[in-house]
Amino acid sequence: MELEVLSLFLQQGIASGLVTGSIYALLALAIVIVFRTTDVANFAEGEVYMASAYLAFFLIAIVSMPFWIAVPATVFAVLIGASLFQRVVLTQVAAAKGVSVNLVIATLGLSYVLKGIVRATGFGDTPRSFPSVMGEGSVTLGSASLTYLDLTILGAALAIMAVFFWMFNYTKIGRAMRAVGMNRRASQLVGINLGHVQMLVWGLSGAISAVAAILIAPKLLMTADMGVVVTLAFAAAIIGGFTSLPGAVVGGFIIGITENLVGLFVSSRAINVAPFVVIMLVLIFMPQGLFGGKVRVRKV
Amino acid sequence: MADLIELVEVSASYGRIEALSGVSLKVSEGKVVALLGANGAGKSTTLNVISGIVPATKGDIRFRGKSIRRLGSDKIVGAGISQVPEGREVFRDMSVHENLLIGAQLRNDRAGIERDIEIMAGHFPVLSKRFKQMAGTMSGGEQQMLLIARALMARPKLLMLDEPSLGLSPLLVQQIFDIIVKLHREEKLTLLIVEQNAAVALAVSDYAYILENGEIAVEGRSADLAHDDSVRNAYLGT
Repeated sequence: MELEVLSLFLQQGIASGLVTGSIYALLALAIVIVFRTTDVANFAEGEVYMASAYLAFFLIAIVSMPFWIAVPATVFAVLIGASLFQRVVLTQVAAAKGVSVNLVIATLGLSYVLKGIVRATGFGDTPRSFPSVMGEGSVTLGSASLTYLDLTILGAALAIMAVFFWMFNYTKIGRAMRAVGMNRRASQLVGINLGHVQMLVWGLSGAISAVAAILIAPKLLMTADMGVVVTLAFAAAIIGGFTSLPGAVVGGFIIGITENLVGLFVSSRAINVAPFVVIMLVLIFMPQGLFGGKVRVRKV
Repeated sequence: MADLIELVEVSASYGRIEALSGVSLKVSEGKVVALLGANGAGKSTTLNVISGIVPATKGDIRFRGKSIRRLGSDKIVGAGISQVPEGREVFRDMSVHENLLIGAQLRNDRAGIERDIEIMAGHFPVLSKRFKQMAGTMSGGEQQMLLIARALMARPKLLMLDEPSLGLSPLLVQQIFDIIVKLHREEKLTLLIVEQNAAVALAVSDYAYILENGEIAVEGRSADLAHDDSVRNAYLGT
């Protein structure tokens, strides 16, 4: 390969990787905050993302709602839906005092319900394309080229992450969320309402998933199975250590860039394998993930 | 003086195992009360029932005459009851400063919170030098002091301490109790102290209850219990 082509591929791979990676990063954040504060690996994350895309599609293309109303309406609806799922379903499952795997099964149940609902509407039968409000056209950065839509995705995703990190680290409610993630009993003893915080975290995770779905949907053909992409968000979360928020973001970008570089340099058929090779490497050499910290021996 | 908190025939259980059966006790405003007993006698459970973390299956808990039995743990802190838990339950990955801030989670008076952090720095000089340090990296004694300061940040009327001397050297135990007594005198704080170290607890308290298998076995003025030979032989191991 000539040097010029090599440099072009490298730049384009990284640029495109940042765009798809930002979506993985958002979804990984949604998975990690829920896991940290409620100890549940949310296996319905993909379907929450998928259903959000369909809800936005329905509001824009079928109800003909203006874009600027449909987007906040979708995000708000998913926020409420996810909060209610935590409040109504998960607290009941937890109160039944079964093994904790029951909570995971409950999220699997949610994923089937959401998929079923989307299939039942009939919109999921054929692949749909999501309307884009961004104009056609692209910008060249170095030798890489990104469309306006790509730049919007990356910019919006980074903005959401910045707001989220600010909230998590510098506000009272963010401090309460971190506290619940560290020590539930101590959180209760300082007066934090566990139920409220956990419900809010689910709502927030739903809202982030909805934003990710709306951002990336115009680049995809929508199907009821589009949620499988969340496997890569789980991969991103694992690379980051599964409880670290910066880890989830870095993991998302690593997966996105790896996919794109492998597609350009190796073969497009190798794209699907690449993220799992990365996970294997991380788990072999840094079993705690990149941001998982050291293993802490706990005295009981 | 009026009773600040009163437990009336309180029972509690973990699954089928009854941890407390018909415990009645009261703490008058401005007093120091000790709750003694062996491991597993139900001392911590009593505090956790008051804090709303373990539900009472029977009986009633009254704080300033009003039942708090069915309140959530956050409402109980809000009402003015804070617990210093045993076992170094600081927020490990937060700084000392943030641990203090989170103690004031239910308060909204920014200036008052800042002022109270200054006051805590005065009570616990060790902490003031380590505001930026992660709480989990501090020594056991320092974590114990941080826990007390964190609980005080909620401005409680009743402070409950669960085994403040556990795992600390005699010198540190003395230091911690000196601070506790000082707080009681200066801030008119009412205290309920759970201890296995009966000698220390009886020395600082006005009144004491001794729990045995989830029931109150003995109660009386601390000075009397400390000198009662039968009590000393049976419960205090001295």
